[in-house]
Amino acid sequence: MENTQQETRKPCLTLALETSCDETSAAVVADGRIVLSNIISSQIPVHQKYGGVVPEIASRKHIENVLPVIDQALKEAGIALTDISAIGVTYGPGLVGALLVGVSVAKALSFAAGIPLVGVNHLEGHIFANFLAHPKLEPPFMALVVSGGHTSLVHVKGYNEFTLLGQTRDDAAGEAFDKVARVMKLPYPGGPYIDALAAKGNPEAIAFPRALSGKNSFEFSFSGLKSAVLNYLNSAAQKQEEINTADVAASFQAAVIDVLVSKSLQAAAVCGVGQIVLAGGVAANSGLKAKVGYECQQAGISFYYPDPILCTDNAAMIACRAYYQHQIGDYADLHLNAKPSLKLGAREIVT
Amino acid sequence: MPILAIDTATLVSSVALATVDNVLAEITLQTKKTHSELLMPHIAKLLDMAQVAKADLKGVAVSIGPGSFTGLRIGLSTAKTLAYALQIPVVGVPTLAAMAYGCPVPGVILAPMLDAQKGNVYQALFEWHQGELKEIQPAIVTEVTAALESLSQQERPVVVMGESAVMYRDKIEQIGKNLILAAPHVVIQRASSVAGLGYKLIKQGVRHDVMGLEPLYIRRSEAEVLWECRHGVGK
Ligand SMILES: [Zn+2]
Repeated sequence: MENTQQETRKPCLTLALETSCDETSAAVVADGRIVLSNIISSQIPVHQKYGGVVPEIASRKHIENVLPVIDQALKEAGIALTDISAIGVTYGPGLVGALLVGVSVAKALSFAAGIPLVGVNHLEGHIFANFLAHPKLEPPFMALVVSGGHTSLVHVKGYNEFTLLGQTRDDAAGEAFDKVARVMKLPYPGGPYIDALAAKGNPEAIAFPRALSGKNSFEFSFSGLKSAVLNYLNSAAQKQEEINTADVAASFQAAVIDVLVSKSLQAAAVCGVGQIVLAGGVAANSGLKAKVGYECQQAGISFYYPDPILCTDNAAMIACRAYYQHQIGDYADLHLNAKPSLKLGAREIVT
Repeated sequence: MPILAIDTATLVSSVALATVDNVLAEITLQTKKTHSELLMPHIAKLLDMAQVAKADLKGVAVSIGPGSFTGLRIGLSTAKTLAYALQIPVVGVPTLAAMAYGCPVPGVILAPMLDAQKGNVYQALFEWHQGELKEIQPAIVTEVTAALESLSQQERPVVVMGESAVMYRDKIEQIGKNLILAAPHVVIQRASSVAGLGYKLIKQGVRHDVMGLEPLYIRRSEAEVLWECRHGVGK
Protein backbone atom coordinates (compact mmCIF):
# COMPACT_ATOMS: atom_id res chain seq x y z
CA MET A 1 0.00 0.00 0.00
CA GLU A 2 1.15 3.54 -0.74
CA ASN A 3 2.47 5.68 2.05
CA THR A 4 -0.01 8.48 1.47
CA GLN A 5 -2.85 6.00 1.58
CA GLN A 6 -1.56 4.42 4.74
CA GLU A 7 -1.89 7.65 6.68
CA THR A 8 -5.60 8.02 5.93
CA ARG A 9 -6.35 4.33 5.85
CA LYS A 10 -8.69 3.03 8.56
CA PRO A 11 -7.20 0.16 10.55
CA CYS A 12 -8.57 -3.33 9.91
CA LEU A 13 -10.32 -4.30 13.16
CA THR A 14 -10.99 -7.87 14.19
CA LEU A 15 -13.26 -8.79 17.09
CA ALA A 16 -12.79 -12.26 18.53
CA LEU A 17 -14.35 -14.60 21.07
CA GLU A 18 -12.67 -17.34 23.06
CA THR A 19 -14.73 -19.80 25.16
CA SER A 20 -12.93 -23.11 24.68
CA CYS A 21 -12.26 -23.86 28.34
CA ASP A 22 -12.62 -21.83 31.52
CA GLU A 23 -12.05 -18.24 30.37
CA THR A 24 -14.71 -16.16 28.64
CA SER A 25 -12.85 -13.62 26.56
CA ALA A 26 -13.52 -11.01 23.87
CA ALA A 27 -10.97 -8.73 22.26
CA VAL A 28 -10.53 -6.14 19.54
CA VAL A 29 -7.25 -6.08 17.62
CA ALA A 30 -6.17 -3.53 14.99
CA ASP A 31 -4.29 -4.67 11.87
CA GLY A 32 -3.67 -8.03 13.49
CA ARG A 33 -1.01 -6.70 15.84
CA ILE A 34 -2.30 -3.94 18.11
CA VAL A 35 -4.49 -4.99 21.05
CA LEU A 36 -7.21 -2.37 21.58
CA SER A 37 -8.98 -4.43 24.23
CA ASN A 38 -8.65 -7.92 25.67
CA ILE A 39 -11.33 -8.67 28.26
CA ILE A 40 -10.93 -11.96 30.12
CA SER A 41 -13.48 -13.23 32.60
CA SER A 42 -11.70 -16.06 34.37
CA GLN A 43 -13.58 -18.92 35.98
CA ILE A 44 -10.59 -20.29 37.87
CA PRO A 45 -12.10 -19.49 41.31
CA VAL A 46 -15.34 -21.26 40.32
CA HIS A 47 -13.59 -24.51 39.37
CA GLN A 48 -10.98 -24.43 42.13
CA LYS A 49 -13.01 -26.41 44.67
CA TYR A 50 -13.50 -29.25 42.14
CA GLY A 51 -9.73 -29.47 41.50
CA GLY A 52 -10.23 -29.00 37.75
CA VAL A 53 -12.53 -27.56 35.12
CA VAL A 54 -16.10 -28.90 35.27
CA PRO A 55 -17.41 -28.72 31.69
CA GLU A 56 -21.09 -28.10 32.53
CA ILE A 57 -20.24 -25.34 34.99
CA ALA A 58 -17.85 -23.77 32.45
CA SER A 59 -20.61 -23.69 29.81
CA ARG A 60 -23.03 -22.10 32.27
CA LYS A 61 -20.52 -19.41 33.14
CA HIS A 62 -19.81 -18.70 29.48
CA ILE A 63 -23.43 -17.95 28.62
CA GLU A 64 -23.64 -15.71 31.68
CA ASN A 65 -20.49 -13.76 30.82
CA VAL A 66 -20.24 -13.73 27.05
CA LEU A 67 -22.31 -10.66 26.10
CA PRO A 68 -21.04 -8.45 28.94
CA VAL A 69 -17.47 -9.37 27.92
CA ILE A 70 -18.12 -8.51 24.25
CA ASP A 71 -19.79 -5.25 25.20
CA GLN A 72 -16.88 -4.30 27.41
CA ALA A 73 -14.34 -5.22 24.71
CA LEU A 74 -16.06 -2.90 22.20
CA LYS A 75 -16.40 -0.09 24.75
CA GLU A 76 -12.81 -0.33 25.91
CA ALA A 77 -11.62 -0.27 22.29
CA GLY A 78 -13.88 2.72 21.75
CA ILE A 79 -15.45 1.32 18.61
CA ALA A 80 -18.87 0.24 17.37
CA LEU A 81 -19.72 -3.24 16.11
CA THR A 82 -20.17 -1.74 12.63
CA ASP A 83 -16.46 -0.76 12.54
CA ILE A 84 -15.39 -4.41 12.71
CA SER A 85 -14.02 -6.07 9.55
CA ALA A 86 -14.09 -9.69 10.68
CA ILE A 87 -15.33 -11.71 13.67
CA GLY A 88 -13.08 -14.52 14.83
CA VAL A 89 -14.13 -17.34 17.12
CA THR A 90 -12.39 -20.37 18.57
CA TYR A 91 -14.22 -23.45 17.23
CA GLY A 92 -11.77 -26.06 18.54
CA PRO A 93 -10.08 -27.80 20.16
CA GLY A 94 -11.69 -27.52 23.58
CA LEU A 95 -14.73 -28.48 25.64
CA VAL A 96 -17.65 -28.94 23.25
CA GLY A 97 -20.32 -27.28 25.40
CA ALA A 98 -18.05 -24.34 26.11
CA LEU A 99 -17.04 -23.93 22.44
CA LEU A 100 -20.70 -24.01 21.37
CA VAL A 101 -21.52 -20.86 23.35
CA GLY A 102 -18.80 -18.85 21.58
CA VAL A 103 -19.58 -20.33 18.15
CA SER A 104 -23.33 -19.64 18.50
CA VAL A 105 -22.72 -16.08 19.65
CA ALA A 106 -20.18 -15.39 16.89
CA LYS A 107 -22.47 -16.71 14.17
CA ALA A 108 -25.40 -14.61 15.40
CA LEU A 109 -23.17 -11.56 15.64
CA SER A 110 -21.79 -12.13 12.14
CA PHE A 111 -25.29 -12.55 10.72
CA ALA A 112 -26.89 -9.63 12.56
CA ALA A 113 -24.08 -7.18 11.79
CA GLY A 114 -23.26 -8.54 8.32
CA ILE A 115 -19.59 -9.09 9.19
CA PRO A 116 -17.58 -12.04 7.83
CA LEU A 117 -16.97 -14.90 10.26
CA VAL A 118 -13.61 -16.61 10.79
CA GLY A 119 -13.33 -19.97 12.56
CA VAL A 120 -10.06 -20.04 14.51
CA ASN A 121 -8.06 -23.01 15.76
CA HIS A 122 -7.25 -22.41 19.43
CA LEU A 123 -3.70 -23.75 19.14
CA GLU A 124 -2.92 -21.52 16.20
CA GLY A 125 -4.27 -18.69 18.33
CA HIS A 126 -1.78 -19.51 21.10
CA ILE A 127 1.10 -19.38 18.61
CA PHE A 128 -0.17 -16.06 17.22
CA ALA A 129 -0.10 -14.48 20.70
CA ASN A 130 3.59 -13.99 19.90
CA PHE A 131 2.76 -11.62 17.03
CA LEU A 132 0.95 -9.41 19.53
CA ALA A 133 3.82 -9.50 21.99
CA HIS A 134 6.50 -8.97 19.34
CA PRO A 135 5.42 -6.58 16.56
CA LYS A 136 8.50 -7.35 14.45
CA LEU A 137 8.23 -11.14 14.65
CA GLU A 138 7.58 -12.87 11.34
CA PRO A 139 7.53 -16.48 10.20
CA PRO A 140 9.25 -18.83 9.68
CA PHE A 141 9.87 -20.14 13.19
CA MET A 142 9.50 -23.18 15.41
CA ALA A 143 6.64 -22.98 17.91
CA LEU A 144 6.44 -25.01 21.10
CA VAL A 145 2.82 -25.03 22.28
CA VAL A 146 2.53 -26.17 25.90
CA SER A 147 -0.68 -25.97 27.89
CA GLY A 148 -3.00 -27.99 30.09
CA GLY A 149 -4.37 -29.73 27.03
CA HIS A 150 -1.54 -29.67 24.51
CA THR A 151 2.14 -30.24 23.91
CA SER A 152 3.00 -29.72 20.26
CA LEU A 153 5.93 -28.71 18.12
CA VAL A 154 4.81 -26.74 15.11
CA HIS A 155 6.88 -25.52 12.19
CA VAL A 156 5.27 -22.19 11.31
CA LYS A 157 6.34 -21.60 7.69
CA GLY A 158 4.06 -18.67 7.00
CA TYR A 159 1.05 -16.89 8.47
CA ASN A 160 -1.22 -19.57 7.05
CA GLU A 161 1.11 -22.50 6.67
CA PHE A 162 1.87 -24.88 9.53
CA THR A 163 3.36 -28.31 9.89
CA LEU A 164 2.81 -30.28 13.06
CA LEU A 165 6.11 -32.03 13.78
CA GLY A 166 4.97 -33.92 16.84
CA GLN A 167 2.76 -33.85 19.88
CA THR A 168 2.18 -35.72 23.10
CA ARG A 169 1.13 -39.35 22.96
CA ASP A 170 -0.59 -39.16 26.34
CA ASP A 171 -0.70 -36.36 28.94
CA ALA A 172 -0.04 -32.75 28.01
CA ALA A 173 2.82 -31.06 29.89
CA GLY A 174 0.38 -28.79 31.74
CA GLU A 175 -1.74 -31.79 32.67
CA ALA A 176 1.31 -33.46 34.25
CA PHE A 177 1.97 -30.26 36.22
CA ASP A 178 -1.62 -30.17 37.48
CA LYS A 179 -1.68 -33.85 38.43
CA VAL A 180 1.63 -33.73 40.28
CA ALA A 181 0.53 -30.53 42.04
CA ARG A 182 -2.69 -32.19 43.14
CA VAL A 183 -0.81 -35.11 44.72
CA MET A 184 1.50 -32.62 46.42
CA LYS A 185 -1.62 -30.93 47.83
CA LEU A 186 -0.89 -27.67 45.99
CA PRO A 187 -3.83 -25.48 44.89
CA TYR A 188 -5.40 -25.69 41.40
CA PRO A 189 -4.16 -24.83 38.81
CA GLY A 190 -0.86 -26.24 40.03
CA GLY A 191 1.63 -25.02 37.41
CA PRO A 192 2.57 -21.69 39.01
CA TYR A 193 2.90 -23.33 42.47
CA ILE A 194 5.26 -26.03 41.18
CA ASP A 195 7.23 -23.36 39.33
CA ALA A 196 7.62 -21.30 42.52
CA LEU A 197 8.48 -24.35 44.64
CA ALA A 198 10.95 -25.61 42.02
CA ALA A 199 12.89 -22.36 42.21
CA LYS A 200 13.80 -23.28 45.81
CA GLY A 201 14.76 -26.92 45.13
CA ASN A 202 17.57 -28.93 43.57
CA PRO A 203 16.65 -30.07 40.05
CA GLU A 204 19.20 -32.88 40.23
CA ALA A 205 18.02 -34.31 43.56
CA ILE A 206 15.87 -37.05 42.03
CA ALA A 207 16.47 -38.66 38.64
CA PHE A 208 13.04 -38.71 37.04
CA PRO A 209 12.71 -40.25 33.53
CA ARG A 210 12.92 -38.29 30.25
CA ALA A 211 10.70 -40.19 27.80
CA LEU A 212 11.17 -40.49 24.01
CA SER A 213 14.39 -38.53 24.11
CA GLY A 214 15.70 -40.22 20.95
CA LYS A 215 17.28 -38.06 18.28
CA ASN A 216 14.87 -36.30 15.93
CA SER A 217 11.81 -37.78 17.61
CA PHE A 218 9.35 -34.94 18.08
CA GLU A 219 6.70 -36.80 20.01
CA PHE A 220 6.26 -36.33 23.74
CA SER A 221 5.09 -38.54 26.60
CA PHE A 222 4.56 -37.34 30.14
CA SER A 223 2.43 -40.07 31.72
CA GLY A 224 5.51 -42.13 32.67
CA LEU A 225 7.09 -39.12 34.35
CA LYS A 226 3.88 -38.36 36.21
CA SER A 227 3.71 -41.98 37.46
CA ALA A 228 7.35 -41.86 38.52
CA VAL A 229 6.71 -38.77 40.64
CA LEU A 230 3.59 -40.33 42.18
CA ASN A 231 5.50 -43.57 42.94
CA TYR A 232 8.33 -41.62 44.52
CA LEU A 233 5.92 -39.70 46.76
CA ASN A 234 3.94 -42.84 47.67
CA SER A 235 6.94 -44.96 48.54
CA ALA A 236 8.45 -42.15 50.61
CA ALA A 237 5.14 -41.83 52.46
CA GLN A 238 5.03 -45.59 53.07
CA LYS A 239 8.53 -45.59 54.49
CA GLN A 240 7.57 -42.52 56.48
CA GLU A 241 10.52 -40.65 55.00
CA GLU A 242 10.71 -36.89 55.10
CA ILE A 243 10.04 -35.48 51.61
CA ASN A 244 11.77 -32.36 50.36
CA THR A 245 8.87 -31.02 48.25
CA ALA A 246 11.02 -28.31 46.70
CA ASP A 247 13.45 -30.95 45.41
CA VAL A 248 10.58 -33.05 44.06
CA ALA A 249 9.08 -30.04 42.28
CA ALA A 250 12.47 -28.94 40.92
CA SER A 251 13.41 -32.44 39.71
CA PHE A 252 10.00 -33.00 38.12
CA GLN A 253 10.01 -29.61 36.41
CA ALA A 254 13.57 -30.16 35.18
CA ALA A 255 12.55 -33.47 33.60
CA VAL A 256 9.66 -31.78 31.75
CA ILE A 257 11.75 -28.82 30.66
CA ASP A 258 14.74 -30.91 29.50
CA VAL A 259 12.55 -32.80 27.06
CA LEU A 260 10.72 -29.69 25.82
CA VAL A 261 13.92 -27.73 25.31
CA SER A 262 16.00 -30.40 23.62
CA LYS A 263 13.23 -31.33 21.19
CA SER A 264 12.52 -27.69 20.34
CA LEU A 265 16.16 -27.01 19.53
CA GLN A 266 16.50 -30.22 17.53
CA ALA A 267 13.34 -29.33 15.58
CA ALA A 268 14.64 -25.85 14.83
CA ALA A 269 17.90 -27.33 13.58
CA VAL A 270 16.21 -29.96 11.42
CA CYS A 271 13.87 -27.40 9.82
CA GLY A 272 16.61 -24.82 9.52
CA VAL A 273 14.82 -22.01 11.34
CA GLY A 274 16.58 -19.44 13.50
CA GLN A 275 13.66 -18.51 15.75
CA ILE A 276 11.82 -20.38 18.49
CA VAL A 277 8.59 -19.16 20.08
CA LEU A 278 6.83 -20.45 23.19
CA ALA A 279 3.05 -20.51 23.38
CA GLY A 280 0.28 -21.73 25.68
CA GLY A 281 -0.38 -21.56 29.41
CA VAL A 282 2.85 -23.36 30.38
CA ALA A 283 4.84 -20.71 28.45
CA ALA A 284 4.39 -18.60 31.58
CA ASN A 285 6.61 -21.07 33.50
CA SER A 286 9.74 -19.18 34.54
CA GLY A 287 11.95 -22.28 34.65
CA LEU A 288 10.99 -23.15 31.07
CA LYS A 289 11.58 -19.62 29.79
CA ALA A 290 14.98 -19.45 31.48
CA LYS A 291 16.15 -22.79 30.08
CA VAL A 292 14.92 -22.21 26.53
CA GLY A 293 16.40 -18.71 26.65
CA TYR A 294 19.78 -20.02 27.73
CA GLU A 295 19.90 -22.87 25.21
CA CYS A 296 18.77 -20.60 22.37
CA GLN A 297 21.47 -18.11 23.21
CA GLN A 298 24.07 -20.90 23.13
CA ALA A 299 22.79 -22.04 19.74
CA GLY A 300 22.47 -18.52 18.29
CA ILE A 301 18.71 -18.78 17.95
CA SER A 302 16.27 -15.91 18.65
CA PHE A 303 13.75 -16.75 21.31
CA TYR A 304 10.28 -15.24 21.86
CA TYR A 305 7.50 -15.75 24.36
CA PRO A 306 4.33 -13.77 25.10
CA ASP A 307 3.52 -11.83 28.27
CA PRO A 308 1.73 -13.98 30.88
CA ILE A 309 -1.67 -12.43 30.04
CA LEU A 310 -1.24 -13.53 26.41
CA CYS A 311 -0.07 -17.02 27.45
CA THR A 312 -3.35 -17.94 29.12
CA ASP A 313 -6.49 -18.35 27.04
CA ASN A 314 -7.49 -14.96 25.67
CA ALA A 315 -9.40 -13.58 22.70
CA ALA A 316 -6.70 -11.15 21.52
CA MET A 317 -4.63 -14.07 20.18
CA ILE A 318 -7.76 -15.35 18.39
CA ALA A 319 -8.36 -11.89 16.90
CA CYS A 320 -4.74 -11.85 15.68
CA ARG A 321 -5.13 -15.25 14.04
CA ALA A 322 -8.49 -14.20 12.56
CA TYR A 323 -6.85 -11.14 11.00
CA TYR A 324 -4.42 -13.27 8.97
CA GLN A 325 -7.21 -15.66 7.90
CA HIS A 326 -9.30 -12.62 6.89
CA GLN A 327 -6.36 -11.47 4.72
CA ILE A 328 -6.62 -14.63 2.60
CA GLY A 329 -10.43 -14.81 2.68
CA ASP A 330 -10.50 -17.91 4.86
CA TYR A 331 -14.05 -17.52 6.16
CA ALA A 332 -16.58 -19.80 7.81
CA ASP A 333 -20.31 -19.65 7.17
CA LEU A 334 -23.36 -20.01 9.42
CA HIS A 335 -22.97 -23.82 9.48
CA LEU A 336 -19.77 -23.52 11.53
CA ASN A 337 -19.82 -26.08 14.34
CA ALA A 338 -17.66 -26.69 17.39
CA LYS A 339 -14.85 -29.20 16.77
CA PRO A 340 -13.68 -30.38 20.21
CA SER A 341 -10.71 -32.33 18.83
CA LEU A 342 -9.75 -30.06 15.95
CA LYS A 343 -6.22 -30.69 14.70
CA LEU A 344 -3.73 -27.95 14.07
CA GLY A 345 -3.67 -26.60 10.54
CA ALA A 346 -6.81 -28.56 9.64
CA ARG A 347 -9.27 -25.74 9.12
CA GLU A 348 -12.56 -26.79 7.69
CA ILE A 349 -13.98 -24.20 5.40
CA VAL A 350 -17.59 -24.50 4.34
CA THR A 351 -18.51 -22.22 1.49
CA MET B 1 -43.73 -6.16 12.43
CA PRO B 2 -42.71 -9.70 13.29
CA ILE B 3 -40.70 -11.20 16.07
CA LEU B 4 -38.37 -14.15 15.70
CA ALA B 5 -39.00 -17.17 17.92
CA ILE B 6 -36.57 -20.00 18.68
CA ASP B 7 -36.95 -23.39 20.35
CA THR B 8 -33.93 -25.69 20.67
CA ALA B 9 -34.74 -27.23 24.06
CA THR B 10 -34.82 -30.80 22.69
CA LEU B 11 -33.88 -32.57 19.45
CA VAL B 12 -36.57 -30.51 17.71
CA SER B 13 -35.15 -27.45 16.00
CA SER B 14 -37.86 -24.85 15.46
CA VAL B 15 -37.77 -21.21 14.37
CA ALA B 16 -40.73 -18.98 13.52
CA LEU B 17 -41.60 -15.48 12.43
CA ALA B 18 -44.86 -14.21 13.83
CA THR B 19 -46.76 -10.99 14.30
CA VAL B 20 -49.12 -10.50 17.20
CA ASP B 21 -51.97 -12.26 15.37
CA ASN B 22 -50.33 -14.18 12.56
CA VAL B 23 -47.64 -16.79 11.97
CA LEU B 24 -45.67 -15.75 8.88
CA ALA B 25 -43.31 -18.68 8.67
CA GLU B 26 -42.02 -21.61 10.66
CA ILE B 27 -39.29 -24.18 10.15
CA THR B 28 -39.57 -27.19 12.43
CA LEU B 29 -37.16 -30.06 11.99
CA GLN B 30 -36.45 -33.30 13.78
CA THR B 31 -33.22 -34.68 12.42
CA LYS B 32 -29.97 -36.00 13.79
CA LYS B 33 -28.15 -32.79 12.83
CA THR B 34 -27.01 -30.58 15.69
CA HIS B 35 -28.65 -27.31 16.64
CA SER B 36 -25.29 -25.67 16.16
CA GLU B 37 -25.30 -26.57 12.46
CA LEU B 38 -28.99 -25.90 11.84
CA LEU B 39 -30.12 -22.94 13.88
CA MET B 40 -28.43 -19.93 12.25
CA PRO B 41 -28.86 -21.20 8.67
CA HIS B 42 -32.55 -21.80 9.45
CA ILE B 43 -32.99 -18.28 10.81
CA ALA B 44 -31.35 -16.81 7.71
CA LYS B 45 -33.47 -19.02 5.43
CA LEU B 46 -36.67 -18.21 7.32
CA LEU B 47 -36.17 -14.45 6.99
CA ASP B 48 -35.30 -14.87 3.35
CA MET B 49 -38.35 -17.03 2.55
CA ALA B 50 -40.72 -14.74 4.44
CA GLN B 51 -39.04 -11.71 2.83
CA VAL B 52 -38.47 -10.07 6.17
CA ALA B 53 -35.31 -7.99 6.60
CA LYS B 54 -33.43 -8.62 9.82
CA ALA B 55 -33.63 -4.88 10.51
CA ASP B 56 -37.43 -5.21 10.58
CA LEU B 57 -37.42 -7.70 13.45
CA LYS B 58 -39.11 -6.21 16.49
CA GLY B 59 -37.93 -8.71 19.08
CA VAL B 60 -36.73 -12.23 19.81
CA ALA B 61 -38.63 -14.81 21.85
CA VAL B 62 -36.64 -17.82 23.00
CA SER B 63 -37.58 -21.04 24.72
CA ILE B 64 -35.51 -20.94 27.93
CA GLY B 65 -36.09 -24.39 29.35
CA PRO B 66 -36.14 -26.77 30.98
CA GLY B 67 -34.60 -29.06 28.40
CA SER B 68 -31.22 -30.18 27.09
CA PHE B 69 -28.59 -27.92 28.66
CA THR B 70 -26.56 -27.64 25.46
CA GLY B 71 -29.63 -27.14 23.26
CA LEU B 72 -30.89 -24.36 25.52
CA ARG B 73 -27.52 -22.63 25.50
CA ILE B 74 -27.33 -22.67 21.69
CA GLY B 75 -30.83 -21.16 21.45
CA LEU B 76 -30.16 -18.56 24.12
CA SER B 77 -26.70 -17.60 22.83
CA THR B 78 -28.21 -17.02 19.42
CA ALA B 79 -31.32 -15.17 20.64
CA LYS B 80 -29.45 -12.94 23.06
CA THR B 81 -26.78 -12.03 20.53
CA LEU B 82 -29.31 -11.21 17.80
CA ALA B 83 -31.20 -9.01 20.26
CA TYR B 84 -27.94 -7.34 21.34
CA ALA B 85 -26.64 -6.69 17.82
CA LEU B 86 -30.00 -5.65 16.32
CA GLN B 87 -30.83 -3.65 19.46
CA ILE B 88 -34.24 -5.23 19.95
CA PRO B 89 -35.82 -6.75 23.08
CA VAL B 90 -35.49 -10.42 24.02
CA VAL B 91 -38.03 -12.37 26.02
CA GLY B 92 -37.39 -15.76 27.59
CA VAL B 93 -40.38 -18.09 27.31
CA PRO B 94 -40.68 -21.14 29.59
CA THR B 95 -40.53 -24.19 27.30
CA LEU B 96 -43.24 -26.28 28.95
CA ALA B 97 -45.67 -23.33 29.09
CA ALA B 98 -45.09 -22.62 25.39
CA MET B 99 -46.06 -26.22 24.59
CA ALA B 100 -49.30 -25.92 26.57
CA TYR B 101 -49.93 -22.56 24.90
CA GLY B 102 -49.97 -24.36 21.55
CA CYS B 103 -52.82 -26.64 22.67
CA PRO B 104 -55.70 -24.35 23.77
CA VAL B 105 -58.18 -26.99 24.90
CA PRO B 106 -60.41 -26.25 27.92
CA GLY B 107 -61.50 -28.94 30.39
CA VAL B 108 -58.29 -30.98 30.26
CA ILE B 109 -54.98 -30.97 32.08
CA LEU B 110 -52.00 -30.36 29.80
CA ALA B 111 -48.90 -32.25 30.88
CA PRO B 112 -45.79 -31.49 28.81
CA MET B 113 -42.83 -33.73 29.69
CA LEU B 114 -39.24 -33.40 28.54
CA ASP B 115 -36.41 -35.84 29.10
CA ALA B 116 -34.39 -35.26 32.27
CA GLN B 117 -32.48 -38.56 31.85
CA LYS B 118 -32.30 -41.77 33.90
CA GLY B 119 -36.09 -42.25 33.84
CA ASN B 120 -36.79 -38.69 34.93
CA VAL B 121 -38.72 -35.93 33.21
CA TYR B 122 -39.13 -32.18 33.51
CA GLN B 123 -42.83 -31.74 34.01
CA ALA B 124 -45.30 -28.91 34.58
CA LEU B 125 -49.11 -28.92 34.51
CA PHE B 126 -51.40 -26.41 32.86
CA GLU B 127 -55.07 -25.81 32.10
CA TRP B 128 -57.00 -23.36 29.97
CA HIS B 129 -59.53 -21.37 31.93
CA GLN B 130 -61.75 -18.75 30.29
CA GLY B 131 -59.36 -18.36 27.40
CA GLU B 132 -56.25 -18.00 29.60
CA LEU B 133 -53.45 -20.46 30.17
CA LYS B 134 -53.01 -21.25 33.87
CA GLU B 135 -50.13 -23.07 35.48
CA ILE B 136 -51.35 -25.74 37.93
CA GLN B 137 -47.90 -27.04 38.82
CA PRO B 138 -44.55 -25.36 38.07
CA ALA B 139 -41.73 -27.25 36.37
CA ILE B 140 -40.17 -30.01 38.46
CA VAL B 141 -37.95 -33.03 37.88
CA THR B 142 -39.88 -36.20 38.58
CA GLU B 143 -39.67 -39.94 37.93
CA VAL B 144 -41.72 -40.67 34.83
CA THR B 145 -43.71 -43.74 35.95
CA ALA B 146 -44.75 -42.13 39.21
CA ALA B 147 -45.70 -38.97 37.35
CA LEU B 148 -47.89 -40.85 34.87
CA GLU B 149 -49.52 -42.93 37.66
CA SER B 150 -50.33 -39.78 39.56
CA LEU B 151 -51.80 -38.12 36.46
CA SER B 152 -54.00 -41.17 35.89
CA GLN B 153 -55.64 -40.50 39.27
CA GLN B 154 -56.94 -37.13 38.02
CA GLU B 155 -60.63 -36.83 37.30
CA ARG B 156 -60.10 -34.82 34.13
CA PRO B 157 -58.53 -36.03 30.89
CA VAL B 158 -54.79 -35.41 30.80
CA VAL B 159 -53.05 -34.62 27.49
CA VAL B 160 -49.42 -35.76 27.74
CA MET B 161 -47.04 -33.86 25.45
CA GLY B 162 -43.34 -33.55 24.70
CA GLU B 163 -40.48 -35.86 23.73
CA SER B 164 -40.99 -37.96 26.88
CA ALA B 165 -44.64 -38.55 25.97
CA VAL B 166 -43.37 -40.05 22.72
CA MET B 167 -40.54 -41.90 24.49
CA TYR B 168 -42.94 -43.44 27.05
CA ARG B 169 -45.83 -43.97 24.64
CA ASP B 170 -46.15 -47.64 25.69
CA LYS B 171 -46.42 -46.72 29.34
CA ILE B 172 -49.12 -44.12 28.61
CA GLU B 173 -51.11 -46.63 26.56
CA GLN B 174 -50.62 -49.33 29.19
CA ILE B 175 -51.96 -47.11 31.96
CA GLY B 176 -54.71 -45.87 29.64
CA LYS B 177 -57.61 -44.43 31.65
CA ASN B 178 -57.71 -40.64 31.26
CA LEU B 179 -54.23 -40.30 29.73
CA ILE B 180 -54.15 -39.05 26.14
CA LEU B 181 -51.00 -38.90 24.03
CA ALA B 182 -51.03 -35.60 22.09
CA ALA B 183 -51.18 -35.77 18.27
CA PRO B 184 -47.80 -35.57 16.46
CA HIS B 185 -48.18 -31.91 15.43
CA VAL B 186 -48.90 -30.87 19.03
CA VAL B 187 -46.66 -33.30 20.86
CA ILE B 188 -43.40 -31.51 19.92
CA GLN B 189 -42.31 -27.93 20.54
CA ARG B 190 -43.19 -25.34 17.92
CA ALA B 191 -41.48 -21.97 17.76
CA SER B 192 -44.81 -20.43 16.71
CA SER B 193 -46.14 -21.25 20.18
CA VAL B 194 -43.04 -19.67 21.70
CA ALA B 195 -43.82 -16.55 19.64
CA GLY B 196 -47.46 -16.56 20.79
CA LEU B 197 -46.63 -16.86 24.47
CA GLY B 198 -43.75 -14.43 23.96
CA TYR B 199 -46.15 -11.77 22.69
CA LYS B 200 -48.42 -12.48 25.65
CA LEU B 201 -45.53 -11.99 28.10
CA ILE B 202 -44.43 -8.77 26.40
CA LYS B 203 -48.03 -7.49 26.63
CA GLN B 204 -47.96 -8.29 30.34
CA GLY B 205 -44.88 -6.08 30.64
CA VAL B 206 -42.31 -8.87 30.96
CA ARG B 207 -38.85 -7.64 29.85
CA HIS B 208 -35.66 -9.65 30.09
CA ASP B 209 -32.17 -8.27 30.34
CA VAL B 210 -30.30 -9.26 27.19
CA MET B 211 -27.01 -9.45 29.13
CA GLY B 212 -28.25 -11.51 32.03
CA LEU B 213 -30.88 -13.84 30.56
CA GLU B 214 -29.97 -17.45 31.35
CA PRO B 215 -31.53 -20.84 30.64
CA LEU B 216 -34.04 -22.25 33.09
CA TYR B 217 -32.02 -25.32 33.98
CA ILE B 218 -34.12 -26.49 36.99
CA ARG B 219 -31.23 -28.84 37.72
CA ARG B 220 -27.78 -27.96 38.92
CA SER B 221 -24.77 -29.60 37.29
CA GLU B 222 -23.95 -33.11 38.49
CA ALA B 223 -20.55 -31.97 39.77
CA GLU B 224 -22.16 -29.41 42.09
CA VAL B 225 -24.61 -31.95 43.49
CA LEU B 226 -21.85 -34.53 44.05
CA TRP B 227 -19.58 -31.99 45.70
CA GLU B 228 -22.31 -30.91 48.12
CA CYS B 229 -23.13 -34.54 48.97
CA ARG B 230 -19.47 -35.22 49.68
CA HIS B 231 -19.05 -32.11 51.79
CA GLY B 232 -22.32 -32.51 53.67
CA VAL B 233 -23.81 -29.22 52.50
CA GLY B 234 -27.60 -29.02 52.70
CA LYS B 235 -28.98 -32.15 54.30
ZN1 LIG C 1 -5.36 -22.68 25.57
